[in-house]
Amino acid sequence: MDFSQFLNLLISALLLAGVYAAMAVGMTVIYGVMKIVNLAHAGFLMLGAYFAFELYERFHIDPLFGAVLALPVFFLFGMGVHWLLVRWLPKSDTPTLASLLLMFGFWLVLQNFAYMVWHNDDRSITTPRTLSAVNIGQITVPEVNLIVFAAAVVCLIVLQIVFNRSWFGRSMRALIQNPYAAQIVGVDDGRTSRLTFGLGTAFAGFAGALLGMIYTFSPDFGRQFLLRSFVIIVLGGLDSVSGVALGAVVLAVVETFGPQIQFHGKYILPDSLQPAISFALLVVVLLIMPKGLASMFTRKRRLT
Amino acid sequence: MKLPSGMGGWVKALLPWLLLACLLLVPVTGTSANVMKLIFITAVWTTTSLAWNLLGGMAGQVSFGFAVFYGIGAYTTGLLMHAGYSPYLGFLCGGILAAVASFIIGIPTFRLRGPYFVIATIGVTEAVRVVMNNLDITGGAGGYRIDEKQYNPTEHYFSAIAAVSLAFLVSSLIASSKFGLALRAIKQDEDAAADLGVKPYYAKLWVHAIAAVLTGIAGGIYARRAAFFYPGDVFAFQTGISILLMPVIGGIGTVWGAVMGGVIFGIVEEELVAKFPNIHLLLYGSLLIAIILFEPDGLLGLLQRLARLLRSKRSEDPGSNNPDQVLWGRGGSQGR
Repeated sequence: MDFSQFLNLLISALLLAGVYAAMAVGMTVIYGVMKIVNLAHAGFLMLGAYFAFELYERFHIDPLFGAVLALPVFFLFGMGVHWLLVRWLPKSDTPTLASLLLMFGFWLVLQNFAYMVWHNDDRSITTPRTLSAVNIGQITVPEVNLIVFAAAVVCLIVLQIVFNRSWFGRSMRALIQNPYAAQIVGVDDGRTSRLTFGLGTAFAGFAGALLGMIYTFSPDFGRQFLLRSFVIIVLGGLDSVSGVALGAVVLAVVETFGPQIQFHGKYILPDSLQPAISFALLVVVLLIMPKGLASMFTRKRRLT
Repeated sequence: MKLPSGMGGWVKALLPWLLLACLLLVPVTGTSANVMKLIFITAVWTTTSLAWNLLGGMAGQVSFGFAVFYGIGAYTTGLLMHAGYSPYLGFLCGGILAAVASFIIGIPTFRLRGPYFVIATIGVTEAVRVVMNNLDITGGAGGYRIDEKQYNPTEHYFSAIAAVSLAFLVSSLIASSKFGLALRAIKQDEDAAADLGVKPYYAKLWVHAIAAVLTGIAGGIYARRAAFFYPGDVFAFQTGISILLMPVIGGIGTVWGAVMGGVIFGIVEEELVAKFPNIHLLLYGSLLIAIILFEPDGLLGLLQRLARLLRSKRSEDPGSNNPDQVLWGRGGSQGR
């Protein structure tokens, strides 16, 4: 592998990481605040892709704009799901059987609803810019990936600002850090949970639309990305939003460079084994540093 | 073995034996091949349902990864039969290898708090299927064929009945043993269980292994009859989902609930799915949501509630002994 090839791969890995982060962040906030492993996340990702697809096919709305439109739509959808289903779950500080099965059942419903509506065909969003690329010297970057990366990063920055500056963001962080103390000082647990679920769903729909611009999708689209989201949030420490970015970069780099490793001139990891890479990474992380990569950099400040 | 007390006790104690006797008599009475096949499939599904229930229902650890054990059982049996060994050795080795796989999943994840186990079970299913799709010695994604000289449906039938009986026996023994109590304690509150002298880590590991053995055997029995299987079938995420749905629909945490779920699921899969291929998972999903929100004890709980209502219309229904506790472990009032 020469240097320009390496640089190309590195850039595509970093661009991929942007989408991965947007994809995993929704799951992280929901887990952090409610301690629910949102298996329906896969369904929301898939719906997001179809949302952008339908807008483009029917109304010729640019998929990038469609992705941005997905944010408010999925926010309301997520709040609705919370109001209808999630709020009845018993509260707990570890994920419960009931919450897992409920979210899983909802995923099944979403997925098979999609099978009924869109059938089991691979779809893709093909716009004039899908195939164009930007050349800088020896580096070639597909234009779509650049746009998707920019959109994802902008959204993550907005989220970070909401997280740090707004009352809602502060309530969320308080609930993540210590739910009991947060409620004592007056954080409205139910309202914050509802908004958080909406936010998580909004990001899932947004990320799904972005992923739909890059990859082909079918109603089973979300599953492979569900696993990747898991790997990312385990890497980043389960409930830390800044950890997500780190986890996304690590996963994207490993996935991109893994298949390039050669041993005696043979590729030891064919492309078809890519999903196994993310799982192997998951197991290694669980064995070596169960608290996530972020734990290597931050020391616990509390004396407990 | 203590003697059952009262009418209900005797019925409960004799019911499994009566069922077993009926099932053993079925081949003698000249039942049609289709019905035999239906009972065979249902027995295999029920075996896996009982196995999942040990881990998920009793110990409260949700696993989406039982397809891995099922597939390992199938492939081990296939490979050993191809090498000329008895299929029964294949079932046994399949079970043992599945148990080894269960340790590989359990050792890194059961030690940790939080959702790590669930995440790992989803991951391992994906990873194993991908690897099997690319493995040359098993024919990769194309599948694997077992060539058995003579095809004997009665033998297949009895092997499935033997498996489901074994699963039932193991489940009943565990449910009434100290180990079963320990598992229930872990499900309700791991810290409290640990304080009372249960070792949650080892208890979870062992029950996972037992469940894996049973599932592996079921996979082997299925594979031998099917004679052809491929990773997209036995290792599919869908298979893991099916195994999970049965005990939850039937009644999670109870042996009879798991049996009921398996029987209903087996019949529905065999008889209805061909007619409505897309609807059934949508129905299962909705049913899952409805069960979690309204009747956590599953269909068995619903039946019990109806029976109580019929029996005593006058006296107020006391309700089952707090279903929330049974399904949800730590109650809503404690903890956030």
